[in-house]
Amino acid sequence: MNKRHKEWLLNIIGILIVFIFLFPVFWMIVTSFKTQAEIFQTPPTFLPSEWQFGSYQEIMQNDILQNFMNSLLISSLTTLLVLVLAVPSAYGLARFSIRGKELFILLFLVTQMLPATVILTPLFILFNQIGVLNSYIGPILACATLGIPFSVLILRTFFLGIPRELEDAAKIDGCNPLSAFLRIVMPLAMPSIIVCGAVSFFFTWGDLIFSVTFNRSQELWPLTAGIYNAIGQYGIEWNSLMAFATISALPVLIIFILLQKRLVKGLASGAVK
Amino acid sequence: MLKKLASRWEGYLFVFPAVIFMLALIGYPLIYNLVLSFQDMDLQALNLGESSFLGLENYKVLFSDTVFWISVKNTLLYTVGSVVFQFIIGFLLALFFSLKFRLASFLRGITLVSWLIPLTISALLFRFMMGSEEGIFNQLLMSTGFINDPVPWLTSPEMALWSIVLVNIWVGIPFNMLLLSTGLSNLPEDIYESASLDGANVFQKFFHITVPLLRPVILIVMMLGFIYTFKVFDLVFVMTGGGPVNSTEVLSTLAYRYSFNDFEFSMGAATANILFAILFLVSLVYLRMIKKDEVM
Repeated sequence: MNKRHKEWLLNIIGILIVFIFLFPVFWMIVTSFKTQAEIFQTPPTFLPSEWQFGSYQEIMQNDILQNFMNSLLISSLTTLLVLVLAVPSAYGLARFSIRGKELFILLFLVTQMLPATVILTPLFILFNQIGVLNSYIGPILACATLGIPFSVLILRTFFLGIPRELEDAAKIDGCNPLSAFLRIVMPLAMPSIIVCGAVSFFFTWGDLIFSVTFNRSQELWPLTAGIYNAIGQYGIEWNSLMAFATISALPVLIIFILLQKRLVKGLASGAVK
Repeated sequence: MLKKLASRWEGYLFVFPAVIFMLALIGYPLIYNLVLSFQDMDLQALNLGESSFLGLENYKVLFSDTVFWISVKNTLLYTVGSVVFQFIIGFLLALFFSLKFRLASFLRGITLVSWLIPLTISALLFRFMMGSEEGIFNQLLMSTGFINDPVPWLTSPEMALWSIVLVNIWVGIPFNMLLLSTGLSNLPEDIYESASLDGANVFQKFFHITVPLLRPVILIVMMLGFIYTFKVFDLVFVMTGGGPVNSTEVLSTLAYRYSFNDFEFSMGAATANILFAILFLVSLVYLRMIKKDEVM
């Protein structure tokens, strides 16, 4: 087998592996365009015999738009909160001599591993006491605890790699640490900050447990909670459920496609270090 | 002198907002969880704003509850099953994609989709595919003649846990593969070249060069896999809700059930503390491991 044949063969095997692996995602999308009769047909059809959009129309009549806006609002605000807190913190841990620095880094490392269910009960009681149940505040605060440790750890590694001379030069030119940080370091760190923002967005977008626990009112529910609720409502109307699922996964897929290379790199470096 | 003092303060100003936030939303709840687990907090006590001290009573009740021991066992089976298989498959795929061909890094990248889509969606999707009549798994297996009767993926107490493990493996593979790929790409190539000159075959190279050199990464991947899988909640919650007959109940779903179905917050807190204690021990091992080679 010569080199070119081998290259071809590897590419084809690779595509096959990825297709089989991602078949469930393909199946989700395809099913959402099928009729109910076609879903139960044996043998199954690979592609819809006729593409129909009825499932999408049906779920639109439900509150999916409200769910979508809630997801968008909760995830965006959480991401903003994460970045506002995590970026300076990561910078401080990378640049300043701070007493107890190791302890703080440890704090972020440990909290990253904490299951949501461990803090769920005490947070519920705390939020009840301060009166933020049944609002967007509960899920936003809780979801920010997922993104902050991740972002601090990744960004700190990044800041450590920026030569200190850049800021020193800025300080000689009369910048104080804050403006040196904002004007010199932040622009350099933008790609990494975007990765952290995207990951925090994904974490929050995927949250189910915080929203359903802290908010009884369904008007505040994100897509994940809406879909969980819809399981009971639609039963085995799988085309509608898969349409719901497709819409819920869509923003994640779009952001992923836009940022693919950066995300893969950022995740790899962040998780190992 | 003054300037030095000022610069030290500036550092704290950068660091503290996030630290205080995390202490308030993670540190305080952890301590409060401990307090709660010694109390008798239920819905009534919550409304009154006072609850009585019970000491270790909740833990006694918990330890005499058979469902608790079932969920400990399930959590361990679930975690070990998931970690082992997602590691093996992830490693094989990492090796395959480390071969140099044009689409390698692109294809490796898009597998991350399974890790990124919300767990609620994956859970629902597999619930559909594992349906006994309409599910594609059974349809494929039956039409190809592998089985005659539909597999009760999620409806049989013997199978349900393993079916969820299967989904968790699917979710976890890209993460394992990604970390192992990064590790593989950092291995020095000249060792392999000299091994080839000495006549080593593929398997010898793998077991005598790749595995020993990759040992630190392998350990970290397994450890992170353990930590991330041990806290599983969403998959079980959406796919089976712990059933049939508690056969898929894990510690996190049990803690949730105590707190938010039965409104026995103290029992929920006690269960969560057990989960936390186990995870904490594993995290200590993990922290020791990364401390060796990091700049901390």
